Amino acid sequence: MTAVKQRLSGFDFQNMVVYIGFIAIFIFFAVTLYDDGFLTQRNLTNIFLQTAPATIMAIGLVFALSAGEIDLSFGSIVAVSALTAAVVLRDYPLIMGVAAGLGVGILIGALNGVLVAYLKLPSFLVTLATMGLFAGIARSMTDLRSVPVMNEAFTGFFGSGKLFSVPSLLIWTVVAVAIGHIFYRHTRFGAHVLATGDNPRAAQVTGIKVPRVRLYVMMICGGTAGLAGLLYAGRLQAAKYTLGESDLMTVIAAVIVGGTALNGGKGSVIGALLGSLLMGMLNNGLILMNLKVSDQMIVRGLIILLAVAVSLRDSSR
Amino acid sequence: MKRYITQLAVGAALAFATSALAETVGPQGETATPSASVMVAEADLEVIRAGGHTAALLWHDQSDFVNAVTAGATDELARAGIEVVATTSAGFDAAKQRSDIETALTKNPSIILSLPLDPVTSAAAFQEARDNDVKLVFLSNLPSGYEHPADYAAIVTDDLFQMGKQAADALAASMGGKGTVGWIYHDAAYYVTNQRDNAFKTTIENDYPDISIVAEQGISDPARAEDIANAMLLRNPDIGGIYVTWAGPAEGVLAALRANGNTTTKMVTLDLSEPVALDMVRGGNVAAIVADEAYELGRAMAAAAILDLLDQDVPPFVVAPAVTVTADNVVEGWMQSLHIDAPKSVTKD
Repeated sequence: MTAVKQRLSGFDFQNMVVYIGFIAIFIFFAVTLYDDGFLTQRNLTNIFLQTAPATIMAIGLVFALSAGEIDLSFGSIVAVSALTAAVVLRDYPLIMGVAAGLGVGILIGALNGVLVAYLKLPSFLVTLATMGLFAGIARSMTDLRSVPVMNEAFTGFFGSGKLFSVPSLLIWTVVAVAIGHIFYRHTRFGAHVLATGDNPRAAQVTGIKVPRVRLYVMMICGGTAGLAGLLYAGRLQAAKYTLGESDLMTVIAAVIVGGTALNGGKGSVIGALLGSLLMGMLNNGLILMNLKVSDQMIVRGLIILLAVAVSLRDSSR
Repeated sequence: MKRYITQLAVGAALAFATSALAETVGPQGETATPSASVMVAEADLEVIRAGGHTAALLWHDQSDFVNAVTAGATDELARAGIEVVATTSAGFDAAKQRSDIETALTKNPSIILSLPLDPVTSAAAFQEARDNDVKLVFLSNLPSGYEHPADYAAIVTDDLFQMGKQAADALAASMGGKGTVGWIYHDAAYYVTNQRDNAFKTTIENDYPDISIVAEQGISDPARAEDIANAMLLRNPDIGGIYVTWAGPAEGVLAALRANGNTTTKMVTLDLSEPVALDMVRGGNVAAIVADEAYELGRAMAAAAILDLLDQDVPPFVVAPAVTVTADNVVEGWMQSLHIDAPKSVTKD
């Protein structure tokens, strides 16, 4: 009995919440929606595809939060990047559209980063301002009009195509998570990010260039948002100023549920992936349950609240 | 330069919409068929009931209007024994609308009723449903490149021209047929609002020679309505009437009128709203609200889909009537439009 208690006391429930929540909700939907197609390959693939852009944004946010920063502007960056790529692709080849879309995302991230790292402005306020700024720019870029993306290579590569029967969005998700995880867990840069978020003064003393780390994490956030914009443009075969606007809360919830601390020094890319899939699975399952739209929102809100409360329990002590 | 391009683009959109002149036309210039003529015969319902069909209602947002459309559609589908297996709201997010469609297709619905968020982004979103031969009936918008009857059964919308015209008639009546008017229109290339707004303008210009439009202001963000109205009132303090493109911004315009102590300028808007209606029944600035028959829209959408399941001809473009709601008929108007009782606040004496 004592041994069991000791084992339980060593069990890090907070870090495991996303895994437990993911499995519990999966089993619940698998049982209750067995006859409604939840477990079909098509539906499970849909969940992956639908959450791919949010997952990639979540990876960027893991880096920012782990370094003690936050980026609220990534939704606006998604729209600006998608629209930039769509406009460039009207007249230029694939590579130019991709470079323009991604480049814009990284540049906006760099702007955020410079303001945060070198002008020492709080990232919350900087990105709150740039969120509005670039939402306005996205609207004025094409006068509120949607821009179709006719380049089939682009739409295939970034959203609608398959490679050896595997959807390109699934490949993007796996590759981005793998790269993100390796950088976060197994490189010196990842360690510097965590050290900066944990205690910036101590990190500075140990020789870590804290401002540079802050600049880089904001650029990563911008870059992942830019990539998410390309994926949305590829998936919808069009770009619109509203793309990414509604992702802010979903992505933040996914990252927090996935075990990343709001105040820095701790995080998980794999957890963010599972958090994002959890959000997608909730959307999917609640629709298949044929709940009314308002009931879907209430249930989703309650589950996210529960998961976030458990995830943040320790850090609030 | 940017402003010039914007004006040019809006002008072009207006020219297109006003070319429709005295009637509502579809997104591709289709002639309108009244919704009352889209009916499913009782004998045909028996055939459908035996088919075990299902439907998904994939909306753009949540509102009283959507609730009424849903109720109309659900009741008509129920008559035919068709079960609604999924209802969603995309919250105006094109990516979520695509996800909603994919998720709903997991349940293999025979029918999808939906408002495509915009022609461009929805073309790819509905492609899988179209390829799976799901019967598609669209509310107000049409995905680019979709052809009737191969790709969809029908588009159903408000009688857009009538809504704008009835708003002009109501405002003119409240002003005694003379005076000056401000025109607050939706500054975006959106088929529904463009037609309604321009119908108002065309009617005032053609039918009311003693009324002149002295101020025109576009609006894209409803939150800015109060600022826009304040500026309009500052430049035109004696303006006799204001048209506002829909009820959301109308609430802001009403706030501006109150803040200016203006009790004489009359206002009309489109779509029902409790705060706007409350001002109307209290004898405030609001002269009338013109609403669509949302429940009838839903019923007609469902009927069009059922007729398509029966392989019967369905008109490509169907319109539901508009209703002018004033202080005198607010109870009946609310029921006719939304199929629910008017809020208690507006029915109190």
